[in-house]
Amino acid sequence: MSDGGVDLKRLRERVSAARAEVEGRGESFYPGPSRVHLASFPPKERWNDWVELDSRAWPRRVEKRYMLVPTTCFNCESACGLLAYVDRDTLEVRKFEGNPEHPGSRGRNCAKGPATANQVTDPDRILHPLKRAGARGSGQWTRVSWDEALDDIAGRIRRALEEGRQKEIMYHVGRPGEDGFTERMLAAWGVDGHNSHTNICSSGARAGYHLWMGMDRPSPDHSHARVILLVSSHLETGHYFNPHAQRIIDAKANGAKLVVLDTRLSNTATHADHWLSPYPGSEAAIFLSIARWMVANRLHNRDFVRRWWNWREFMAEAHPDLPADFERFEEKLEEMYGRYTFEYAAKESGVDAGVIEAVARLVAEAGTRLSTHNWRSAAAGNLGGWQVARTLFLLSALTGAVATEGGTHPNSWNKFVPRPIHLPRHPEHWNELTWPAEYPLALMEMSFLLPHLLKRSGDFLDVYFTRVYNPVWTNPDGFSWIEMLTDPERVGLHVALTPTWNETAHFADYVLPMGLGSERHDVHSYEQYAGQWVGFRQPVLRAARERLGERVADTRDANPGEVWEENEFWIDLTWRIDPGGELGLRSFFESREKPGTKLGVDEYYGWMFENSVPGLPEAAAREGVTPLEYMRRYGAFEVAARTGALHEEPVSAGELEDVHVDAEGRAFTRAPKPDSPNVVPLPVLDGDAEGRRRVGVEVDGRIVRGFPTPSGLLEFWSRTLAEWGWPELATPGYTRSHIHRENLEDGQMVLISTFRVPIQIHTRSANAKWLDEIAHTNPLWIHPRDAAPIGARTGGLVRVETEIGHFVVRAWVTEGIRPGVVACSHHMGRWKVASHGQNQAMATVDLEHGDDGWSLRRRKGGGPYRSADADTSRIWWTDVGVHQNLTFPVHPDPVSGSHCWHQAVRVRAALPGDAYGDISVGAGLSGRVFREWLGYTRPAESVSPDGTRRPHWMLRPVRPTREAYQLPADDPAGG
Amino acid sequence: MAAGELIRALATLAEPPHPAHAAIARALGLPEPPPPSDHAELFLFQLYPFASFHVGAEGMLGGEAADRVAGFWRALGREAPAEPDHLSALLGLYAGLCDAGAREPAGAGRILRRQSRKALLWEHLLSWVLPYLHAVSEIAPLFYRRWAELLRAALLSEAAKLGAPDRLPLHLREAPPLEDPRVGGGEAFLRQLTAPVRTGMPLTRASLARCAVDLGLGRRAGERRFVLESLFSSDPEAALDWLGREAARWRAVHDGYRAHAEVVSRFWASRAHAAHRLLAELAREAGEAVEAGEAAPPRGANPAGRPAAAGRE
Repeated sequence: MSDGGVDLKRLRERVSAARAEVEGRGESFYPGPSRVHLASFPPKERWNDWVELDSRAWPRRVEKRYMLVPTTCFNCESACGLLAYVDRDTLEVRKFEGNPEHPGSRGRNCAKGPATANQVTDPDRILHPLKRAGARGSGQWTRVSWDEALDDIAGRIRRALEEGRQKEIMYHVGRPGEDGFTERMLAAWGVDGHNSHTNICSSGARAGYHLWMGMDRPSPDHSHARVILLVSSHLETGHYFNPHAQRIIDAKANGAKLVVLDTRLSNTATHADHWLSPYPGSEAAIFLSIARWMVANRLHNRDFVRRWWNWREFMAEAHPDLPADFERFEEKLEEMYGRYTFEYAAKESGVDAGVIEAVARLVAEAGTRLSTHNWRSAAAGNLGGWQVARTLFLLSALTGAVATEGGTHPNSWNKFVPRPIHLPRHPEHWNELTWPAEYPLALMEMSFLLPHLLKRSGDFLDVYFTRVYNPVWTNPDGFSWIEMLTDPERVGLHVALTPTWNETAHFADYVLPMGLGSERHDVHSYEQYAGQWVGFRQPVLRAARERLGERVADTRDANPGEVWEENEFWIDLTWRIDPGGELGLRSFFESREKPGTKLGVDEYYGWMFENSVPGLPEAAAREGVTPLEYMRRYGAFEVAARTGALHEEPVSAGELEDVHVDAEGRAFTRAPKPDSPNVVPLPVLDGDAEGRRRVGVEVDGRIVRGFPTPSGLLEFWSRTLAEWGWPELATPGYTRSHIHRENLEDGQMVLISTFRVPIQIHTRSANAKWLDEIAHTNPLWIHPRDAAPIGARTGGLVRVETEIGHFVVRAWVTEGIRPGVVACSHHMGRWKVASHGQNQAMATVDLEHGDDGWSLRRRKGGGPYRSADADTSRIWWTDVGVHQNLTFPVHPDPVSGSHCWHQAVRVRAALPGDAYGDISVGAGLSGRVFREWLGYTRPAESVSPDGTRRPHWMLRPVRPTREAYQLPADDPAGG
Repeated sequence: MAAGELIRALATLAEPPHPAHAAIARALGLPEPPPPSDHAELFLFQLYPFASFHVGAEGMLGGEAADRVAGFWRALGREAPAEPDHLSALLGLYAGLCDAGAREPAGAGRILRRQSRKALLWEHLLSWVLPYLHAVSEIAPLFYRRWAELLRAALLSEAAKLGAPDRLPLHLREAPPLEDPRVGGGEAFLRQLTAPVRTGMPLTRASLARCAVDLGLGRRAGERRFVLESLFSSDPEAALDWLGREAARWRAVHDGYRAHAEVVSRFWASRAHAAHRLLAELAREAGEAVEAGEAAPPRGANPAGRPAAAGRE
């Protein structure tokens, strides 16, 4: 269009082209901050020499020159981008801010990111390898060299491998913070010893998703949603908190409605258009009532359901006498859920039926732009919690909001795990300590049962690594963990790989200092929006020194003290285990450029970025750098800005060779599977009897990719559940929780412990001073109606009695919680028994173990102390919270394997002699509860339809060989 | 292609100069960006780029007009920035709405986006920007004159695309007229003369300087009210007459964009016309008073009604 002699169209094109050209060079077109662009990021072309005024020199104007080096935050699993401000004069990191080039976090961070600076300069941090000098737990340590520690550990592992004791090596991880390096390392060792924390965290919800779509995590496209339905406190603490929270706010700005189910009035709930505070565990009943109403009114997306649900399989199995037509299925669907009226849901949940109906209308109106998410929350709290996620996804599946714009995507489609230089074999062993036969369908390792399983089996762990994990503090039943860790009959050598002191490291034999987010290499990719990105964590001081022309071959040379990174540590350790290569381990950590020498991180990541990240080599070439240099410069790369309905993608003609489509519509081909640079974990689906592999599914006469489930479709009905002992749960349903009202005794209440303080990091922020100043306590939320009868006042002490013991905590009387329910955040109550350790948010306690059981009593809270950091003398808080988890027994869900955190408790006024922070657990009680819950299981040897330990198609970290899946014929315990 | 990028680029150039502006200016075919002092002179001393200054009843930053703009941001679900009614912020918001509209699939969502855009354009931009840009074109150095031409063209192009509003923008509907000093008093009159929405003309420092030069009067340094007071003290008849003629000139300016933005043009032209008539009448009265040998100008003709020095900042 031309106006007044001005060719506006041409001008628009010129501006757009200029912007693309400038940004294509890696420079900023629009400067920030301004009123036009609120972002205030230093332009990336000036990251190498950025000048700011030194705030400490005020009022003088003293210029400080920085190198801005990107890395990735390690303080939660979101992996947000950080920019380290490296002082060019001193080569010290002065601060961390957001990396605007990171596609997930987009330059924004929560408090935990900048607080990396506190962790780096923590005056109490572990800077050198330490070896136990006295008895385990005595707190006596001696400094040793890395060589001494590595040779000792490597020697034990080598002996175990040579003697066929692979199962005695175990690696137990809390915060993974990386995509697959360590899993591949264990596989290279031939060890099925990966043990994750996931069953005390997300596995309940993930099991629900896995059964539906084969992939186990939701990836909601919040920013384009019309309605966002959350079962969590997502805006403040939920998984992928910062990347998701900012997109939820984007959506709200665009008019989206937010519905939050949270028993507490969380910060998230305060942002909701509809806050539903259900009785804990009743969430599935609410979702089923919405589903029923939609189906009854034919408001569901009928075409999507017809095309993508495995309703034919359901009809054939559940109603073989009826014709398998869709209308009949809809009738059955309506009939199945007929009892889930709004009134029923209201009765179960305590939420007004009118509110539930209003939410139902919103859900129905959202169409395919309904984004839903459940991570921990209710799914991690309740027996049958996995059904919460399953019934939530039922709403996505009913509306057809699956992998749509504004809908919920399967995680694997929004995630890119670059193929590494070496891919190892599958271990030939099955570890019954992590995958016991009682839990054939557990999504992840039964990690939190380890002390009980070891005790039961009498097994021994020769080398047990805890890596950024603190089971004594994080897991339920921590005293059982102390018993295990201090028993030389159970654990031979405990190696704690950790950047900070923690309760578990206290009981270790070696404490090895591992790098923080700015001190290590990792890659990661998380499903935070409908796109794919790869993030690169790097030791920023190493990168800074390399920018200055120095060659750094060992990250320890650039990190504080002798702090190492794990990549180099594991490579070195493997070479010491197998120095000559005869065990076949070394080859997976050997250089390709210089065969016979150790693989270095530059080659490892250089190869990966050169060969396995589509588009990255081209982007790097445009800037005249190598792909590795590009990632060192920007810290992240977006592989795909938009993903979508991959299930609808037609299978290419090249992949269709001698195709066979079976009666269920599953398509098989003889064409080999094309290599993919993306090795994101996916289920392994069996081929047909004639040797063809699964390639897709036929829908409406077209062969398309479908979903990686046994049926190739969304599995409303799960053959897996039906055939593996749980036919009554084969469709999404509502399981009454172990803390359902009918299961409570008189006077009992429900304790919710699954929520956290948004600015704390599970067990690594006890000396993050900024975070500690903001949050350092965890009072018990209690409704005035419950507080009055026991005389509880805000700040007053109350005693909370669980099945196995009690803890003493301060009350917070608030209407922000339902009557009959109390809540206590799990992110507080850190402790130490010795003088060493972290002082800013850890109490010093006395631990006692006698015939009656265990007790923990606070000797000293937090407070000021002298250190190299003057701020520690200004600490004004003494309260550091109460460690409630010690008083929780294990509650393994018999299907998903997830720990069910919610507790039936009695809350009473503190008794004479009770003191704040007191913990007491009775002898033998936790074992009793373990055995009781074990009784709910349906073990593989009694339910397995094919003599295997676990359905082979299901996801599993460090998947062993097919042969290892076979149950031993003569071993009823599966071990 | 959405107009967002062009508007965004133009918005950016109203911000304090930055090295990155050179590339933007080149893309727009503008000359090299001027030194920061030119930007400061134009946007900090002469023509304040805030909607509230131009459409607010007091002719000052903030107040009810700024609140209305902030409310608009909030109505869009956005957090209002610190200066919600700054031209760059409004243009940036407009560019963002253009982008969002381009991403929106066809349907109700896109229609809503378009309505939001139209509301922003007419309510908070075109309600004041056309006379503002004209004033810029009269006093700014070449770079900003060219910038103003482009921005005017871009906004009028948007107006043509989105169509005319159903009624006068709220800012203008709510804007009170210039009060007769013979009724409202000289103090208020003096204040109101610096409120463009009442007089139909933006009275800049430059225009007052021009007035002093045209009339051969001494120009005292100070804020605009003080300068006005001093002009009235020196020669009320001439000063009032000059202002009246200035208002008449602005009426013609407003008539000049009638074809593109009729409802706004009519409003501003009528305000300028009313101001012209009032000022001319007051000038006449002042002249008559002098002829009658009165020592002081008539009540209202010396709008301050007090010694000029008292109003100095």
